[in-house]
Amino acid sequence: MSPEPRRFVIYGFASVHDAMAAEDALKAGEVAVTAIPSPRALGELCGIALRVAPQDAETAEAALMRAELPPRATAEIDDV
Amino acid sequence: MTEVRSPRPRAYLDHSATSWPKPPEVVEAVVGAMTVSGANPGRGAYAMALAASRVVFESRRACADLLGIPDARDLVFMSGCTEACNLMLKGLLAPGDRVVVSSMEHNAITRPLHALSLLGVRVDMVGADDTGLVHAGDFERAVRAETTRAVICQHASNVTGAIQPIADLADIAHENGALLLVDGAQAVGHLDVDLSALQVDAYAASGHKGLLGPQGVGVLYLRPGLDAAELLQGGTGGGSSEEESQPQGRPERYEAGTPNTPGIAGLGAAARLLIAHGAEWRVEEQAVFLELKRGLGAIPGVTVLGPAVDEPCVPTLSLVSDRMDGDRIAFELDRRYGIAVRSGLHCAPWAHRTLGTLDTGAVRLGVGHGTSTDDVEAVLTALRELLT
Repeated sequence: MSPEPRRFVIYGFASVHDAMAAEDALKAGEVAVTAIPSPRALGELCGIALRVAPQDAETAEAALMRAELPPRATAEIDDV
Repeated sequence: MTEVRSPRPRAYLDHSATSWPKPPEVVEAVVGAMTVSGANPGRGAYAMALAASRVVFESRRACADLLGIPDARDLVFMSGCTEACNLMLKGLLAPGDRVVVSSMEHNAITRPLHALSLLGVRVDMVGADDTGLVHAGDFERAVRAETTRAVICQHASNVTGAIQPIADLADIAHENGALLLVDGAQAVGHLDVDLSALQVDAYAASGHKGLLGPQGVGVLYLRPGLDAAELLQGGTGGGSSEEESQPQGRPERYEAGTPNTPGIAGLGAAARLLIAHGAEWRVEEQAVFLELKRGLGAIPGVTVLGPAVDEPCVPTLSLVSDRMDGDRIAFELDRRYGIAVRSGLHCAPWAHRTLGTLDTGAVRLGVGHGTSTDDVEAVLTALRELLT
């Protein structure tokens, strides 16, 4: 049986390098993060996106701002 | 009957061309990038693609840390120093520009400049002394004489090992509204290079010489905000694939196409080694080099080109003998003694013209990580036998 979809916040970045750096920044901020293929919900951005739980979004975004890696795009998706 | 010999030299003294052998960690990283993380970096988000992306990302950070670059995005991976020099020059110069360049440059600089001169870039050369060292005052006079877009100079000579006054040239260039563009092929790894401190605008470097990485990879540093046109357009993996034009963000702007991931992995491993051990290794190689230089100076008829024994230089020198041509010396060292050195012009005819050796060439000996006192003694003994 497939798990129930859950809501996630996803972040897209200008480059794969930025996505990798952002992943490090989130991990350093003790945010549970998963790298995923960039979904169409992020518009034209492709490559790697980062996925976090909604309850972690505020912490995540603060960590990204501290690291001077603001997301190029943000969206919410249902994922498993 | 054709002579069959092992290609493995008894003593390898051609580190100025490429370092050898590579540290085991470098070889392991190259193999790992072809096995464990063999996917295309930045082109997917499955586990192996992420691992490959991580390899490139970590290697970039290691190289940036090694070279004193605060933001790793300002460091671009290239196929080598030659491509880096081409991007540095062709991306920043346009018809009508004037550049002031040292007479010690390698063909990686002089040939792109020649191509640019055919398009209307004016190239004015500043000479060097007979050790291959350029003098800041000469550059200052040349730069002040007319509006100058860029000062171009190597960090260290691939013929004499002379270390050029890059920090002084940066001041001169910037005081006169010009850029300082540097070919660091022979400096990185052999010197403690801090690009932020040097205040260069662009710096091209080879990955496989003093940096100890594999062949086929190099780096280019562009200072933040410097708008160099890219040489290639194409896929970059991330960002917006729908855009018709090349993404302008760094480093992707300059890295169209699948990168040399194994090479980058190896270079990253090498950079981490140099961060950990580079200071100690530089002391060791300088000690060995000094022994070599002193020994060569005592062989009758041998003239060592370059700075005096007690002057700072990277561990490269060239020599000429009044008893045997350079190409013959190199051949005999290889055939009779198993010693690898390089004769000829070293892709630097401008430098040899400056030094007065354009017609004869010279024999170049390059010391690097792993060169031993036994290697030095072997080449000194061989040269004494050959030349006295």
